[in-house]
Amino acid sequence: MRSNELDDILREALRQEVAERSSALAGLQEHVVAELGDRRPRLRLSDWFRQLVAPSRGGRIGQVCVVGGTAAVCLLFGFFVATRLAPDPGAPALRLSPSRNPDGTQEVVFVLPALNATNVSVVGTFNSWEPTALSDEDQDGIWMASIPLPPGRYEYAFVIDGRWWGQDPLADEYVRSFGEYSSVRYVGRGGDGA
Amino acid sequence: MYRGQDEVSLLRCSLAGETEAWGEIISRYKDAVFGLCVGFLRNRADAEDITHDAFIRAYVNLRRYDLERRFSTWLFTIAANLCRNRLRYHRNHPVVELPDQIRGGPDPATVVAREDRHAHVREALTHIPYGYRAPLVLRFYNDLSYREIADILAIPEGTVKTRIHRGKAMLKQRLEECDAS
Repeated sequence: MRSNELDDILREALRQEVAERSSALAGLQEHVVAELGDRRPRLRLSDWFRQLVAPSRGGRIGQVCVVGGTAAVCLLFGFFVATRLAPDPGAPALRLSPSRNPDGTQEVVFVLPALNATNVSVVGTFNSWEPTALSDEDQDGIWMASIPLPPGRYEYAFVIDGRWWGQDPLADEYVRSFGEYSSVRYVGRGGDGA
Repeated sequence: MYRGQDEVSLLRCSLAGETEAWGEIISRYKDAVFGLCVGFLRNRADAEDITHDAFIRAYVNLRRYDLERRFSTWLFTIAANLCRNRLRYHRNHPVVELPDQIRGGPDPATVVAREDRHAHVREALTHIPYGYRAPLVLRFYNDLSYREIADILAIPEGTVKTRIHRGKAMLKQRLEECDAS
């Protein structure tokens, strides 16, 4: 069989096959159009922006309003982000940089938000697991204590109204023993005093 | 209303949400898309499904169509991708294809009476791997150039030529075996 002959047979065979089965396509366009209903081709992001700034019935003034409005929204958003992220000099930082004392210890601040608590303390290896009370002098629900500690690794936990709270969000790591979590803080090299 | 309008204005109307214009596009291309699907899938029910889905998908994504390209090539690409997905699905969920006489198609006696050489070609085509069958269908049913086939199947033009050549060799061998038996 010659190559051209095969081409012709193949072409004819496929066309015949479709012709025999094309009755299945009767009404296809009506079905598709009905299924599409009021749908429109999906907008792409670039088209959306182009439509936004395209001249509309409002003409030039409309465009200026749209662009100006977008810029104002961006500025407001930027201001919001900046004020949220910038440190407030009047507010205490959650984890204060420790200051070094003359005796080589560092002031390590333990801080915990506990809005409805009446008694918060910290227990750990630095105080032989005997409670050291945290205070909330301004009654804002943020409890704090500053404890001078020599460099080292310390395990600790908070006790809030008699309940163990071992996962301090400011800890360097956590350990688990006897089914309870404790927090770990490194003071000195690589830790608070680094 | 849309009959006789040129393709570009039909596409513009479709973009504006005039689905009746899209209906006219469908009536112009449905045979070509269906033929592609039948050729790729070798299964009429699947071909009908995919033809329907291809027109829906093309309409929804019409803004992705680049006017620099031929519309038919873009539409065939969508249909070819859908066919490929369906074949992949069937690889994991095999179906048993019913013979023509059970489906109510022409019975074998009629086929023999018509001296249906074409039936042998179609049967042989079914046994050719998809990677070779697809370029053959696009070339000989849809009359596309090697470049267009390469675009649709996302393979190099040289590969298209090779696959068409080898596909034809496979087809020829199969037909000769059929003749010998």
